[in-house]
This record gives sequence, C-alpha cells and structure tokens, in this order.
Amino acid sequence: MTSFSFAETTAWQCAGCDLPLQPAEVKVSYLNSVFNVELMVCPGCGFVLVPESLATGKMLAVEQLLEDK
Amino acid sequence: MDQTQLRELESRCIQEEQPFCTAACPIHVDVRAFMAALAKDDVCEARKILDRTMPFPEIVGRLCDAPCRRACKRGEIGDPLAIGRLERFCVSRTGPMLKLPKLPAKGGRVAVLGAGLSGMTAALDLARKGRPTTLIAPDGEIGGRLRLLPESDVPGEALVQARKLLEGYGVAIVTGGPLGGAIGEFAARLAGEYDAVYCDLEDVEMAGIPDPLTLAVGGGNCFAGGGPGADSGFSTIKQVEDGRRAALSIERFLQKVSLTAQRDREGSCATRMATVIDRIPPAAEIRPTDPAGGYTPAEAVAEAGRCIQCECMECVKQCAYLREYKEYPKTLVRKIYNNLAIVQGTRSANKTINACSLCGQCTVICPHDFPVAELCRATRQEMVDTGHMPPSPHDFALEDMRFSLSEACRLSRHQPGHATSRFLFYPGCQLAGSSPELVTRTYEFLAEKLEGGVGLMLGCCGIPAHWAGQHALFTETLDALRAEVVRMGRPTVIAACSSCLAIFGEQAPELSVTSLWELLDGLELPAGQGPRPPAALALHDPCTARHRADLRASVRSLCAKLNLAVVEPGFGGALADCCGYGGLMQFANQPLGEKAAQVKAERSPGDGLAYCAMCRDNLAAAGRPMAHLLDYLFGQTGDPDPLARANPGFSGRHENRARLKERLLARLWQEEPMPRPAHAAMPLAMSPEIAALLDRRLILEEDVRKVIAHAESSGRYLIDPATGHRLASFRPVRVTYWIEYEPADAGYRIHNGYSHRMRLPEETP
Repeated sequence: MTSFSFAETTAWQCAGCDLPLQPAEVKVSYLNSVFNVELMVCPGCGFVLVPESLATGKMLAVEQLLEDK
Repeated sequence: MDQTQLRELESRCIQEEQPFCTAACPIHVDVRAFMAALAKDDVCEARKILDRTMPFPEIVGRLCDAPCRRACKRGEIGDPLAIGRLERFCVSRTGPMLKLPKLPAKGGRVAVLGAGLSGMTAALDLARKGRPTTLIAPDGEIGGRLRLLPESDVPGEALVQARKLLEGYGVAIVTGGPLGGAIGEFAARLAGEYDAVYCDLEDVEMAGIPDPLTLAVGGGNCFAGGGPGADSGFSTIKQVEDGRRAALSIERFLQKVSLTAQRDREGSCATRMATVIDRIPPAAEIRPTDPAGGYTPAEAVAEAGRCIQCECMECVKQCAYLREYKEYPKTLVRKIYNNLAIVQGTRSANKTINACSLCGQCTVICPHDFPVAELCRATRQEMVDTGHMPPSPHDFALEDMRFSLSEACRLSRHQPGHATSRFLFYPGCQLAGSSPELVTRTYEFLAEKLEGGVGLMLGCCGIPAHWAGQHALFTETLDALRAEVVRMGRPTVIAACSSCLAIFGEQAPELSVTSLWELLDGLELPAGQGPRPPAALALHDPCTARHRADLRASVRSLCAKLNLAVVEPGFGGALADCCGYGGLMQFANQPLGEKAAQVKAERSPGDGLAYCAMCRDNLAAAGRPMAHLLDYLFGQTGDPDPLARANPGFSGRHENRARLKERLLARLWQEEPMPRPAHAAMPLAMSPEIAALLDRRLILEEDVRKVIAHAESSGRYLIDPATGHRLASFRPVRVTYWIEYEPADAGYRIHNGYSHRMRLPEETP
C-alpha cells in the first residue's frame, strides 16, 4: 500500500503530553477503504492532527471519490 | 429503470427533434448548423454540412426549390430565411470539402436507366453503398434537363464535376439503348440482366405508377421515380429525393429486408420540435444589393445571422440545475440510466442526481410534461435500495429531520382546557426553526378563533427523507404522524407549510387537511401591528404550491385584506422556482443551492414576501430583504422590521425548535421542559464570520459544544503556545469535527471549525 505524506511543520503541540508533533504513519479509513498516510502525531499519546487544508482539500476529494465508487 | 422506461422518457423530450427546416427538407439537410456556420463567416464548415447530405452540391445547392423555406420559424417573426440563396452563395464560393466514404464493394448489380438528377442521385448513393452500378444515359451525357439551363443557373463545370464524382465512386456511365418507344421491352431486358433496375422518369417513359413509399414498380426488382411531379411541375429536390428513396429501396431489396419498415422519416416529415419565439424581435430578409451576383460575404453573414437556431430548451432556460449540469431532460435521463448501470467504476452522475430540487417547474414548462423530478427522486430511491447512495449529500438534512422529530422538539397536545381537538395546527419543522414566535402567535390566534379545540403538533412530515430516496425512513415518519393524528381523534390538520401539504395530499390523502392560508382567509383577521413595508413586495410562491392555485389565491386574498401591496415576479404561481432547499439541493450542491436562491430572488427587483419559511430564509441569505406573510398578520408593536431578519442558520433553527417546545410547554400547558444535556449550557462566543463559516460547513453549535466538552473533560487537545488557541476533534456519529477555540470569560471563543468523514485510527464510530 502506498503511503502519502501530509506531514508538515506545525505550531500545534499536544497539550496533555506537552510534546511537539512528529510525522508518523497513520491508517485512515472511509467506506471500506483504508489508506496509510503520514500525518503529524503526538509521539506521547498518538493524537493525530488533521489540518484544515487537508480536511477541506485532498481528504474531501478522496471522500467524494470513494462515495461514487 | 429498464430500457423501455428509458425509451419512453427519452421520447418525451423533444430537444433532439429535427428543426422545422430540416424536417421539411426531403433529404434533411442540417440547415440550422449550415446557418450557424455561415453566420460565423465559416463558409467551408457550411459547405461540409451540405456535402454530408446533399448529392452534387454544386448543382442542388444552386437549383434547390427550398421547400424548407415555407417551414422556417423565422417566417413568423419577419421573413423566412433565404435558404436557397445562401446555399447558392456557399457552393459558388467553395469546392467539395468532404468526401463521403465508399463502402467495400459487394454483389448486387444495379442498372440506372436515365441520367437526370434522380438517376444520378440513385447511382451515386448505390455506388457509395458498394453496389456495382451502371448509369445508362440516352446520349452518353448526364444531367437530363439540367443541361438546358443557362450557365448562370448551373455552370457546365458543375456537370463535369458531377460526372467525375460518379466515376470516382466507380459508376459506369454508358450510352443507352433505345429509350424511346421500346422502353418497356428494354427495361424488362435490363431487369433480367441486373439484380435491380431504377428508371429515371425524366429520361424514360414508363407504364405503371411507382409505389410512393418504395418507388417499386410491379413488385419485382424494378423501381422508378424522378421527372415531373403529379402536378407536372419539376422540382429539383424532388429528383434528389426520389433518387435517394429508390437507392434505399434497392439496397433493402438486395439485402432481402422489408422495403417498407420504418421509413416514415424519409422525405419531408413532421417534427415535434417546439420553439418559443415570444421574445425574439422581428427581422426582415436581407436582399442582395446585386440580385444577379447573389450575396456578398457580409450580406450572407447577416442573412444567416437571422436564423433563430430553433430548439426547445424551454425548461433549461429557466432551471438553474439543468443549466449548471449542461443537460436537457433527454441527455439527463440517459446519463442517469448509464449511472445506474455501472457495476464497477465511478458513478460520476451521483451528484447530478442528488442536486435536482425536485421542484417540477420543468414539467410544467415541458410540452410533453417530462417528469425530471420524479425521475431523480425515484433514482435516488433505487440508489438507496441498492446501497449505492453516497452518505454525504443527505446526512445532515436527515439528522436535522431526526432532531425535529426528537423529544427535544416534537410535541402534540390538545388545546389547554380541551380533551379533544377539532383542528390540529401543524406549522412544520422549518417555520418552527425560522420563526418560533410567529408559530406561537398563530397558534394562540387559531385557538381563540376556532371552536371545538385546536391541538398543536410540532414535528416533521418526513419530506427530507422522501427527497433523499429513503423510503423506509419516510414511511416510518409519515406513519407515526398519521398514528398521532388518529390518536388525537382525527382532527383537521391545519398545515402552514406547502411541502407538508404536498406530502399529505400525495401520501396521506385519508387525512383531513387544510392550508393555514385558506383557513385564515375565512376568518376575521387580526390587525397586524408590526412594522409595514415601505413599498409593494414581490410575492414569492414556493415551488411546492405549484399545483395549489386555491392556496395561492388565498394568500393573495390575505394580502389584499391586509392592505399589503404585492407585485407578481416573472416566474410565480405554477412556474415558481425553488429557493434551493427543495430536493435537498443545497446539501448536495451548496453553490448551486445558493445560485437557485439568487435566481428566485432576482425574478423581481424589489423586497419580497414569502409564505414558505425556507424561501424566506434562503432568499434572505441571498441578500434580498424578505418577510414572511405571518410577519404582517401577527406582527406586534416593537417587533423588529421583518424585512431585515437574517437567515437563522442551521444552529439557530435547532435552537428555535427546541426553545419553541420549551416555551409553549411552560406557557400554555404549565409543563416543565425536558432537561437539556450538560454541555448545552456552555456559553460560546464567535464573530459573525465564524458563525457563517460553521453554518456553511454544516457544523452546528451543538457539535462545537460536544467537541469542547469532550476535549476539556479528557484533556485531549492540541495547543498553540503562541496564541493559546486549542484545537480538538470529536466524532459524534459519522463526521469528525475539529474546533479551534480558547477559554474566554465563562465559556469559549471559537476561532475556526472544519470537518471530515474519513476516520482516524482512534475513532470507533
């Protein structure tokens, strides 16, 4: 399975762990499809950040594509 | 949808019918496209169009007697187009642009006896079909009487070209035998020697009259046509028509298939095309400055430019949806059929199917009542039933409907102090969401004026589920409503919303139902005390009142009684546009929904008056000052100007519905409201821009509170040390919401919000 990276430097930090986020591979899924993508994640608790640009851009496009499959 | 249904639907849309000129033309030249090319000064393209259908354009283009001209629609608004003169212009300035292919040679030897234009046409068509063809000319020359015409009518060069063309396709041109008295014998001999024979009656005299449909003579392999017509007149295009008709008959004869089946569209034929010419200014024919020399290029462009390019497109002209997707009903139904047929691959028309407002305006406009709305709705249901309906277009609206039906909003009570109800006021979910105060005032008025008890029911008729193709959910919703009306003792339902009325009428005809407007029109009206409009208002009928002339008349009568001056917008009544909510259009295609509201608002320049809560709110959101009729019926001194009321947005609607129930219970029935969830009390602050952004993104304040409550109780959120803003997410059901916020005063200030449907690893739902 190909992995796409959407990890980019961010000012957001994990409040609970007080740690900066780091790129990590994450499994995201929608309607029976699973993708490995690289996102910014808290190395302590695994909190995954989906930035606005991703949610309203590429992620939305892929969701709509999968909905029409 | 099966093939038969597809064909039946396709046949109801006439957009692809031939325009009047093409239908009248015996060989169906695409005159409309020819005119379009000439109007663009593209004489080569125009010539290609002639070459495609016309045999020997150098001859026919000069001599055609243009029966199409009598059919030209332009004739009803000025003079018909000078089609013949334009063809002459075209062929005199171009050479052949298109060489039609010759099919591979096959058997079936054909003799064409007589080389007038009809014989020439038959020979050319048969040679193109790959039949070995011999053209027998009496003196070895082709053209018949064309040869007698002056050079100015048809240059000798045109006949030389025609001969070359025939020979180029392999036609053997031979000098004929005795074409005089012994013709019968000669033809009979040919019929024995060849597989089929065509006699051009211009050159050949023959006993017996050919069958008009097939031009067969005597039931054998002999065919005949051409020459002077029954009226002894000589029509150029008739020669061509006969030659072509005979060639088709001979081809069928040689293939041993029916000579007669499906030939009703050959020759001049009827067309179902409908073209509205109301708004086209008249224009007189452009006459050439030099009649003998014909048109100059500029004159030709001007004359061709008078062509009105006949088509129907009447529904498309008015419908924002069909325009957006560049479809007319015939192409739309094909697209939908193909979309349903996809087994593996992308169903690229899903969005198209879900974006129709189901308003039915097109059906009223269509000369054949094409049912686009029912087509799209039934398709949605088929998609739901087969598991192919994408979740995103309807999720939000269906959740909104569930909320209206939830304990937070639903209510049904007899009038305080009554154990039974003769009437039951049913304002509908959107009026409750838009104007809860007006619902209360209307109810109190009805309860005071009507005898026998007026119950109240808050809820939803289920139309969003119906529109979404969710048949099971719709039936369940409507059944529950029906059961509740029965439990209340079958009172007459007074519905304020024309969508509810449409649903009750179509799906629950056993209920006794009346519209609020008709009922109010029969009562002594309250004197509305609120602010009055400064000028006459454009009265916007909702699309769902399209078939309710009675209801619309009551609304106008009410306006008159209120001394409320109204003007009728361009498209109202049975032709009213949808505001973008119908069919859940605004959820399937948000920009299109906004466009639809804009179109409806712009049907009239002034401020508006609606009696559908969604029209009121969507047109207000489109920037048009818009009041609701109830504003002027039940307005009170001190009310804000109803024309200035903003769209409450989805969060506002939720809050309004819930608060309406709470207040009514407390005020009229002295009942304690149901406790709200703890997070409901969380104070939120946000700029109007952020509120609008969340509304556009379909994020409710309820969702915002859930995200923050979850983040603050679990401690799981991100923080930006520079700003102190927090960012958290929560997935209540199928959507993950992200909220950027910061603690402020006793609550939270919201800075951003967005969502996605894709699931992250730690999310379970």
